[in-house]
Amino acid sequence: MIRVVPYILYALLIAAWQVMFKDLTSIFGAAINLSAMVVLLVALFKSEVTAAWFGFVVGLVLAVGAPSIMGWHALFLALLGIVGYQVRERLNLEASYSKELFVLGGVLVHNIFLVLIETSTGVFHLIWSQALTGAVYTAVIAWLFFTIKEGRITRERVRSVF
Amino acid sequence: MPSHSSNNWRNVHLAVIVCLSLVLIITGASVSRYVSEGLLSSLYYPFFSIRDYIADMVGVSQENARLQQQLVDARMKVSLLESAARENERLRQALGFEPPPGYSLVPAEVVAIVGEQASVGAVINRGAADSVFVDQPLINQSGLVGRVVHVMPGYAEIQYLTDPANRVAARVIPGREMGIVKFLPGSGLILDNFPVDGSIKPGDRVVSSGLGGVYPAGLTVGEVVTVIRPAEEPFCEVDLKASVNFNTVEEVFLLKPEGP
Repeated sequence: MIRVVPYILYALLIAAWQVMFKDLTSIFGAAINLSAMVVLLVALFKSEVTAAWFGFVVGLVLAVGAPSIMGWHALFLALLGIVGYQVRERLNLEASYSKELFVLGGVLVHNIFLVLIETSTGVFHLIWSQALTGAVYTAVIAWLFFTIKEGRITRERVRSVF
Repeated sequence: MPSHSSNNWRNVHLAVIVCLSLVLIITGASVSRYVSEGLLSSLYYPFFSIRDYIADMVGVSQENARLQQQLVDARMKVSLLESAARENERLRQALGFEPPPGYSLVPAEVVAIVGEQASVGAVINRGAADSVFVDQPLINQSGLVGRVVHVMPGYAEIQYLTDPANRVAARVIPGREMGIVKFLPGSGLILDNFPVDGSIKPGDRVVSSGLGGVYPAGLTVGEVVTVIRPAEEPFCEVDLKASVNFNTVEEVFLLKPEGP
């Protein structure tokens, strides 16, 4: 049971993000896709089953406002977790740039899925203006995450700059 | 290399996930609605509450700023209304005010004060365009204010009785004896050249005598405060209290001679 607690906290973080911070942090329609990013990070560091279940749950959390397509959200994010895990297993993702590319690709695919499932007109424009830019924006956040996680940015280094 | 049993276990998990997803897809909103309601009331509810609370706080803050602005505006309006009320009161007092015979009143407003430590003059909003001329006397409802000393097209500079350069030929009422009213910086308003044996006492009224050609006769200048009669001197030392408070003069009346 205790092993589930971090994932509940991740789900809470995603819910908080969706409600309070998503609109605040979006730039010209490009928003950080925290849900896909967290699912991909779980796929990158945890097991395939964990990534799949977590993706499924995040899909439910993400689709609370649209119950009619909740199943599609859950299935897609579960598949994203599985595919993410399989990519990790088959490719060498040790370098941070490859991890960032991994997140960029995964988030871009999820963003395109969101555009396709939620809108019917101006799809190509939205893919260009929101899906791609949102994926790049999320990849920048992922870069910050990896930089801090791998100790390339530390409190001492930040202090030495200032 | 994963074992055969763990691989089966993984496949069971993935199959359950796919089945659950398919159930949600096939049933549409009928099942998902309950999931959605459950998540909204448990996972999302605290964050909606926090967001609403913050939005309320921001709204209250903006409302507070708006009300503060309204309060400032209201205070300014009240201040203007109080000023208008005071002006109204002064003008009411001036309404029943009769000019001396042979003169009509031209109202004017003081727009600037002349004098560093004490008011010795002012600038009014009437000038040559209003037929104002040099040495034209000015009064208000309390009495004699002074005279015009410089005229510009739209403005005129006036000299109060408190200017040491100003002199008024005056008469004491009821005694009818005459002197000269002038202002000494150290002593204030005095009646000079009044005979030591003249009939004068504190409380007597001092009015302009009409001599000198500047001020018409009968304009109230002030009231006698003290009278000292030196034994060896030909004139009394008479201190006066001006009938006009020169620090509060805002409206004045120019005395315009009637006729050609």
